[in-house]
Amino acid sequence: MKTLDKLRFGVAGLAVLFALGTSGPAVAEDITLQYWVYSDFGQGDALALQQEFIKEFTAKHPGVTIEIVGKGDDDLTAGQVAGAASGNLPDVFMNAQSVGAQLVEIGALDNMYSKWMAMPEEFRAQFDQDALKSCMPKPDELYCLPYTGFGSLLFRNLTVLEKAGIDTTKPPATWDEWFAQMKQVKDAGMFAIPDETLVFNSIAEIYATSGGTDSWGFDWANRKTRIDPATMTKVLQKFVDMKPLGSGTSRNDQATKDLFISNQLAFHTIGPWVNPTYEEAAKASGLKYDFVLIPGDEAGKTGGIRSYEIVGVAPGPHADLAFEFAAYITEKAQMARWAKLLSRYNANAAAMADPDVAALPLIKVSVDAAHGAMDVAAPYFVDSVPSCYNSTVIDIASATADGSSTPEEGAKEMISQLNDCLAK
Amino acid sequence: MSVRRYLPHYLMIAPFMILFAAFFLYPILSGFYYSFHDWNGVKPPAYVGLANYQKIVVSRDFATAMRNLLTYVAITVPLGILVALGLALLVDSFTGRWANFFRNAYFLPVVLPAFLAATIWRWIYAPNFGLLNMILGWFGAPSVNFLNDTGTMLYALIAVDVWVSAGFNMVIILAGLKNIPAELYEAARLDGANKWQQIVHITIPMLGPVLFFVVTYGLISAMQVFDKPWLLTGSSFTSYGGRRNALLFPVMDMMGRAFGSVRFGEAAAYGFLLTVTIVILTAAMFGLRRWRGWA
Repeated sequence: MKTLDKLRFGVAGLAVLFALGTSGPAVAEDITLQYWVYSDFGQGDALALQQEFIKEFTAKHPGVTIEIVGKGDDDLTAGQVAGAASGNLPDVFMNAQSVGAQLVEIGALDNMYSKWMAMPEEFRAQFDQDALKSCMPKPDELYCLPYTGFGSLLFRNLTVLEKAGIDTTKPPATWDEWFAQMKQVKDAGMFAIPDETLVFNSIAEIYATSGGTDSWGFDWANRKTRIDPATMTKVLQKFVDMKPLGSGTSRNDQATKDLFISNQLAFHTIGPWVNPTYEEAAKASGLKYDFVLIPGDEAGKTGGIRSYEIVGVAPGPHADLAFEFAAYITEKAQMARWAKLLSRYNANAAAMADPDVAALPLIKVSVDAAHGAMDVAAPYFVDSVPSCYNSTVIDIASATADGSSTPEEGAKEMISQLNDCLAK
Repeated sequence: MSVRRYLPHYLMIAPFMILFAAFFLYPILSGFYYSFHDWNGVKPPAYVGLANYQKIVVSRDFATAMRNLLTYVAITVPLGILVALGLALLVDSFTGRWANFFRNAYFLPVVLPAFLAATIWRWIYAPNFGLLNMILGWFGAPSVNFLNDTGTMLYALIAVDVWVSAGFNMVIILAGLKNIPAELYEAARLDGANKWQQIVHITIPMLGPVLFFVVTYGLISAMQVFDKPWLLTGSSFTSYGGRRNALLFPVMDMMGRAFGSVRFGEAAAYGFLLTVTIVILTAAMFGLRRWRGWA
């Protein structure tokens, strides 16, 4: 199977080179590609696997060297912006979808559409179509290959739930069931959930329990928010109801993880990246936990958000080779290895369907979570989101939860302020 | 003749001057140039006159950032120096091993990486179960969300800042204390001065130049406050400043405009406004020193 995949990829790579007519210069001279990744992909097992990919790729491309550099979130963006300004961009790089528009604006991202179309259909069909669409602001523009991603999950501390007298074999199927469990946990003297109003993504996760992508994000043509006032009113009421049940910490705080590990917090809605920490705690201190889908208002609807890390290619003389490398690392065989190593969901649907990968519990739930989740800041690659947008959502959600206004007033005020913010 | 005479001197300062010009002067001058242009870092800059300055000055974020900065500087600089002076006097009263122990203990926060310090303080400030709230709970006080209540956020930052900066200032003041001749204290004691009178009439006047340095350096640092509020509020280029921008400061706003919104012309203008303010303040400090005869 692997040999067949490699053969397919080889044919695909040749097709690109042939179509672009650049096979000569790409391999004839010594070329060094700069490859920037997230810092957690640039250390430990993840780095070892990335280096294996690099080794495999360079073995097929004599004279090509690839230097991998790990960087934190803001450092990636700042480095790419500064690189675009100085004409010294990394050739291949990761970043978040949400900063795609800035990178397009400053010319840091190559439009890979023609290169993409030159790839065999078999390769193109491997990707999750929704994830792929998010890289295409227009039909003939493709600014990224979607890479790893997440659908948010509901991590449950089973010890806390059992202490509160909750049957842990049946995850909550609806918001009402979930909220009833939260109250039970609080009545038992423990914290139910972090303060979901402190971080933009956690607000979005709860919004998704009632709404969806079509009523969230941006109407860039009219520079207005797509948030639906009725849905936001309902969601703000949820924040008011949850307020007395929460730990007061944000979902990203170390304190939240510590509370969960020390059996004082029942629920933690977040991406799968916390799982290694909880897995470690399960081994070290006997933490009993699981992860399930975030329930929505009705049975069958899920809450939570989804987003992808992207692989982008810089325009320039090495863009073709850089695209080849980007295509190589996002191809099924590599993404399946990546998923198996880290148990992390990614945008290669064919890799996710691989029986060995699909059998991994975290991947199985993540695939369902991502399919039912709401895009956190769609549409991408169109325009930069002003900083006032996220802060307005956070400010008004937390102020409403604190009782500064009613949910109706809060929703109305939020939408009005968001429209003002986008109009500027 | 004079060129030949001073040539070795010029040659000796040349390495510094070259580096200074390349990494300090040139960025300042080019920043000044770009502050009059609409520029996203890549596209050719378009001249816009004073529009960037105007946009910044009328923006709500600028007003908030400046208001926060003013309060922050007015409290953190004097408080930080008072605490540092107190610690220095305390450490100075010990000798040998204990003096070393306390000096190192108080200096420890200075060498702690900012992200680690922020993580520690986020735990201390955590609502309901954080260290501070636990202590408040012993006295029956309700839980305070220090980093999300707009009434407490700035003071929570100031406490962290004083905790970090006190050790650095303490070491400098301590060096100043060691240079004060012991005879002055002996003479004062013979004249019947108590400890407080010795501090007020000998220690503080003799520390004048040191305190001038500490105050000036503290002011310049405080005007550029960035990492602590950024980390305490979990900021990123897309969202910064904490709830209701209660911890928004000029450098954060400038960084957001540059790397979040890729408006480098505006960010350059912001940087210039801040630089000019700092230069004026520093010049005023030097003027004050000359006027009071501390030089």
